[in-house]
Amino acid sequence: MTALLETRAVTQRFSGLVANSDVSISVGRGEIVGLIGPNGAGKSTLFNLIAGAFPPTQGSIWFDGEDVTRLPAAERCQRGVGRTFQVVKSFETMSVVDNVIVGALVRNTHMRGARRKAHEVLEFCGLDARAEVPASELVPSEKRRLEVARALATEPKLLLLDEVLTGLTPVEAQTGVELVRRVRERGITVLMVEHVMEIVMPLVDRAIVLDLGKVLVEGKPTEVVRDPKVITAYLGDRHAVSA
Amino acid sequence: MDKAFAQHRRRDLLVAAALIIVAALLPLFVKDVYVQNIMVLTLMYAALSQSWNILSGYCGQISLGHALYFGLGAYTTALLFTKFGVLPWFGMIAGGLISAVIAMALGYPCFRLRGHYFVIATIVIAETALLLFQNWTWAGAALGIDIPVHRDSWLTFQFTRSKLPYFYFALVLAAIAWFVTWWLEDSKWGYWWRAVKDNPDAAESLGVVVFNSKMGAAAVSAFLVAVGGSFYAQFVSYIDPDSVMGFQFSLLMALPAVLGGIGTLWGPMLGAVILIPLTELTRSFIGGSGRGVDLIVYGTLIVLISLARPQGLVGLFARRRKASPA
Repeated sequence: MTALLETRAVTQRFSGLVANSDVSISVGRGEIVGLIGPNGAGKSTLFNLIAGAFPPTQGSIWFDGEDVTRLPAAERCQRGVGRTFQVVKSFETMSVVDNVIVGALVRNTHMRGARRKAHEVLEFCGLDARAEVPASELVPSEKRRLEVARALATEPKLLLLDEVLTGLTPVEAQTGVELVRRVRERGITVLMVEHVMEIVMPLVDRAIVLDLGKVLVEGKPTEVVRDPKVITAYLGDRHAVSA
Repeated sequence: MDKAFAQHRRRDLLVAAALIIVAALLPLFVKDVYVQNIMVLTLMYAALSQSWNILSGYCGQISLGHALYFGLGAYTTALLFTKFGVLPWFGMIAGGLISAVIAMALGYPCFRLRGHYFVIATIVIAETALLLFQNWTWAGAALGIDIPVHRDSWLTFQFTRSKLPYFYFALVLAAIAWFVTWWLEDSKWGYWWRAVKDNPDAAESLGVVVFNSKMGAAAVSAFLVAVGGSFYAQFVSYIDPDSVMGFQFSLLMALPAVLGGIGTLWGPMLGAVILIPLTELTRSFIGGSGRGVDLIVYGTLIVLISLARPQGLVGLFARRRKASPA
């Protein structure tokens, strides 16, 4: 069986700056994969390329056996790529349930069906009690969950989570971790960008470490965190010696 | 919660039906032609503003060039009638279709612009069209078109002895514009438009094709405004470029919605009912040299509204609704 997602030798330049260089990764069906790396490693760029925010300078992106390199974001969503944004982008003038309905409309032609789906997803994400509240009135952790709910309403095969657990209190982060696990139980593949290692590592099946725009290491989380190259990338040479 | 939502929608519909009945009975009590004239204009601007609100309020693409579509509607009807003898009813549909097509043709380049740049583009395009019509000899150039008056008839949609037919037509027009908005509000398009307004990037990531959504809103909005323009041409039976395509029309479509509540179902209606009578009254009482006075009144109202209730007058009702137990 082919991988659900594959990037083949993807390179992205921003007028001179090389954000991703020759990045080839793959994500298998049903996996939870963590994309980690220090600041400026090119995680967000790669993430945006996969979601279709802009096409890569070079290389190709394959989703579900098809080349989607040139497809715009909306079409990738229709094919089963759901995403959240690192800086939350709620529809502020709309109610929470209306936010989710927008996502649900991808697979529901009738409003009735979309509304039902939206409530179901809100319940799954623990936001049902806030359904009728304007999105602008949510607290930050709720807004993060709304991002996830909206993406889930599009019924994705692959869910891209951009730092959904960063900046949460330990209790909130734990709820988030459980939510991600339950998402996978529904058969949805997850690729998550995080830089808080201790939260991600117990959650993911596999970790891909990016540094300076390239894949540094990939493997089981327990192995990755002990890898001297990873420690060097995060903490500098001095600490690598003690590892 | 589904039930509450359905109830809310049904209540809007019932209130609208009640208002239409009340409005339809008004001429029984109001015999004064001057007041009837104000009523016609109020309903017309309510319809126009409601249509403007679809593109600018719901979809968030602020247009200050909708005078273009108003003028196109007026000119299409008047030209078809005077040059080819086509009845205004067909002219109305033709004007609407032409406007919708032009709105999409203009949207093709303009919807790549965001924010203020889009607004400026709409103003410039409408002004350019105004200049073109001022110099287009076949269409009467700056002199405009005098629509010859025949016998009073619904066929030619001309009435010289009474304003009431115009009043009822304007009422139907306002009701249609309201109903179209009501219907779109709980449709795929309505949700897409609001998502596009609030955050185009997020909308795109949820499968909304932002560009197409804007095109759809522009077409519906332009069509309805053009029908309003066709009506106006018949109502005044003389048009020239400045009197149907001038910048003031673009403003007069935007202001009621802004005053009442932009992007809301009831905002444009509420705004028009307050603003249009006020304009007409200040204009006639101050008269002659007071051409700018109505604009001063708008300005003051807008400043007051943006200070006291930035979401528009409709916000007054929303607050009360929330305070009471749901």
